[in-house]
Amino acid sequence: MKVGYVGRRLLQVVPTVLGILLVGFALVHIAPGDPVLALAGEHGDAEYYEFMRDRFGLDEALPARTLTYLSRVLRGDLGVSYVQGRPVRDVIAARVPATLLLTGTALVLSTLVGLLLGALAARQPHGGRDAVITMATLGLFAAPVFWIGQLAIVVAAFHLGWFPVQGMRSAVESAAGLPATLDVLHHLALPAFVLASQEVAAVSRLTRQGLLTELGSPHVRTARAKGLSETRVLVRHALRRALLPVVTVVGSRVGHLLAGTVVVEVVFAWPGLGRLLITSVQARDMPIILGTFFLVAISVVVANLLTDLAYRAIDPRIRYE
Amino acid sequence: MPTSRSSRSGSADHRGRSAWIRRFAPLGALVCLACVRGGDDRGRILVVAIDSDPGHLNPGITTSGGTHTAAELLYNGLVELDPLDLSPVPELAERWTVDDEGRRYTFYLREDVRWHDGEPFSAHDVVYSFTEVLLRFHARTRASLGAASPEIVALDEHTVEFRFSDPYAPLLQQLNVTEAPILPRHLYEGTDPLRNPVNFAPVGTGPFRFVSSRSDEELRYAANRAYFKEGLPELDAVIYRVIPDPGSQVLALEAGEVDWLFAVPGPDIERVARLPNLEILRSPIGPGGSNCVTTIGFNLDAAPLDDRRLREAIWHALDRDAFLERVLFGGGRVARAPIASGIPFAHHDGLELPRHDRARARALLAEIGWVAEGDGRRVARGVAGTADGTSLSLSFHHFPSQSAYAELVRAQLASVGIEIRLVTLEPPVFVEVVFRERDFDTAIVSYCNGTDPEIGVRRQYDSAMIGPVPFSNTAGYSNAAVDSLFHRAGTTVDPGERTRLYRQIQEIVARDLPYVWLVESLNARAHRTRCSGFGPSGHFAETARCEG
Repeated sequence: MKVGYVGRRLLQVVPTVLGILLVGFALVHIAPGDPVLALAGEHGDAEYYEFMRDRFGLDEALPARTLTYLSRVLRGDLGVSYVQGRPVRDVIAARVPATLLLTGTALVLSTLVGLLLGALAARQPHGGRDAVITMATLGLFAAPVFWIGQLAIVVAAFHLGWFPVQGMRSAVESAAGLPATLDVLHHLALPAFVLASQEVAAVSRLTRQGLLTELGSPHVRTARAKGLSETRVLVRHALRRALLPVVTVVGSRVGHLLAGTVVVEVVFAWPGLGRLLITSVQARDMPIILGTFFLVAISVVVANLLTDLAYRAIDPRIRYE
Repeated sequence: MPTSRSSRSGSADHRGRSAWIRRFAPLGALVCLACVRGGDDRGRILVVAIDSDPGHLNPGITTSGGTHTAAELLYNGLVELDPLDLSPVPELAERWTVDDEGRRYTFYLREDVRWHDGEPFSAHDVVYSFTEVLLRFHARTRASLGAASPEIVALDEHTVEFRFSDPYAPLLQQLNVTEAPILPRHLYEGTDPLRNPVNFAPVGTGPFRFVSSRSDEELRYAANRAYFKEGLPELDAVIYRVIPDPGSQVLALEAGEVDWLFAVPGPDIERVARLPNLEILRSPIGPGGSNCVTTIGFNLDAAPLDDRRLREAIWHALDRDAFLERVLFGGGRVARAPIASGIPFAHHDGLELPRHDRARARALLAEIGWVAEGDGRRVARGVAGTADGTSLSLSFHHFPSQSAYAELVRAQLASVGIEIRLVTLEPPVFVEVVFRERDFDTAIVSYCNGTDPEIGVRRQYDSAMIGPVPFSNTAGYSNAAVDSLFHRAGTTVDPGERTRLYRQIQEIVARDLPYVWLVESLNARAHRTRCSGFGPSGHFAETARCEG
């Protein structure tokens, strides 16, 4: 039964992603701007630009290009970057690890810190600690991420010197192995915290709310009556049920984090997908833009699928028919 | 987690705090294991910052600033240009002769040059590079040299001849590594140069050779120990780091993570110049080209800007010194002539251009029929070609990076009653709107004049260069006399005669005022003082040294 459900959901992924791709293709091509400039540089003559346009099939009619593109994608071919002259698959694949590392770390960090802060706030609701946590997390949520990022660089990296200012590795490399890994972690810490800071508010607010509801319920009263410690009551009995709405946001936050990573990658010179997307949009490198759309669409759709499946693991009462 | 278990005892308040400290202590320790600052301990390795991944590293198939900034160290041209007077200096060509009044150029090549992969360099590489790559794919070289359709032949292994049907003047200014890098024929012949994988692992003859790259992160070059220039390069390696945010670039330089920036943002220049271990270098050469003049183009296609008097009124209303101070922060000079002062033989140093004079601007506007209303705005009352009651409102198209110019133009023109509507467009859209659709009133363009007026000046005035080519004749200026003077100047090799012709051209366009030549911008580069000896050209690191 469960396999049938997962299979059905996976089948839905195909039309969803194709739909997103179609809309993306239309948007990218309706937007004004000519990729030939980025392709060839400035100062050519008219004949030269015609020649380049022709070479890259930029002169075909839109419906024809759409069909060509979609049929290629269905065969697993995302095309070749106009600017770099390399297969889109290779260009994107080279950036995926960096983005995965950054967003994955930020997802875990924001979830853990959010849960912790939510639990701390719920222990003495409406008290001083609750107010400070609420203000701090909402403040971080409301502040623009590029500003938080620059502030973090100026304070923590530049003046305090705790972290490097930019990049994912030191320019003059540590050898392989543990030092190299530590080097990457050292570079990762600041951007991951900045990216996570945006997301802490949602998790901590939901955790706090869920816990407050649960803490008033009969099964928690029973647990307390058994003489369990407050922490145990909180973690073992209340938190588990309060987690359900939190898991829901974790799924939807994948899309959010991928959006935030565009800005964070630029500020911290992190070599990921977000920056690839920005430079490709500026250069109108359509194959790369669409390839990135494709990947992001798939990951958001899959993240939502995983979220739905996680519900069941957390709350056995939920059944998928 | 062990910490949560131990926090079970003790008072509620205490528990929270100690748990916090214990939770974060291991993280802090981990982070600080690597807490040593990069600093100036790299020895003879130069680390430079660039703002985007250049993509491929073949400067022969594009004029893109990103590729040229990153790749020119790997290659050579037939000649290099002297930074002071732009005269050609031997590079791959040891010497040359010019015959038949500029119809025949013969280059005698060095015989001791090898490609980075060990293959010998020969005249066939030069012929291949021009005929199969540069004249087809390098936008500027194709447009200028290509139009003269030279016949390029190898006379023997080390001699190349360029033959033209008409005399061709600017050739020697078009053979440096920026305009004509020489590529290895043995790796390109028979392939599509746009798609050849060698573009990503390039092989040149230059002072540095390609080692490795990480997409959007860094490029690593090592010294070419077999370089044909004695004793060069002095560095062991050059590492390009991709840092897109200009603010982060400056911080990385100050923190010692990088040694060299190609461009310091205007507002930071003064502060950086005062720091003890940093130095600013001014250069007319930037990643987009050299000798750049920031220029406002008037759309001459239609009313009201087809009226020369309105253009002159705008000239009088603009205070060009303010652009130098407030936009370039002193990094450049006010333009004194249509051709940049960095091309000394062509630049006209005795021109009269309309001076900043608001009263004169107001009087001229009133004279044409643009009358000031109560609120200071101007409306047409009997302006030829414009309906009465139309208010004087002009669009001003610009890149996002030029918004400081745009704001200042708007403020200065508002003071004489001309309303400016700012239209901010990303470069690809700007090109489409301004050059293809020609749907604008005024537009700002940085015209990089290059090393010869044939490269970067002619396209701005030649009536054959009106749309749809990007950064060509923005104004839509058309004057048969100017066209023919340009043709003569391009087919004359006598330097005195060329000077006379270019002066004449500048006198004519300074009367017609199709553009406002605002300011000549200088690039502010910066480096840490542990490194020195930088050159101004694309080979900036060829002669550089780093210590410590």
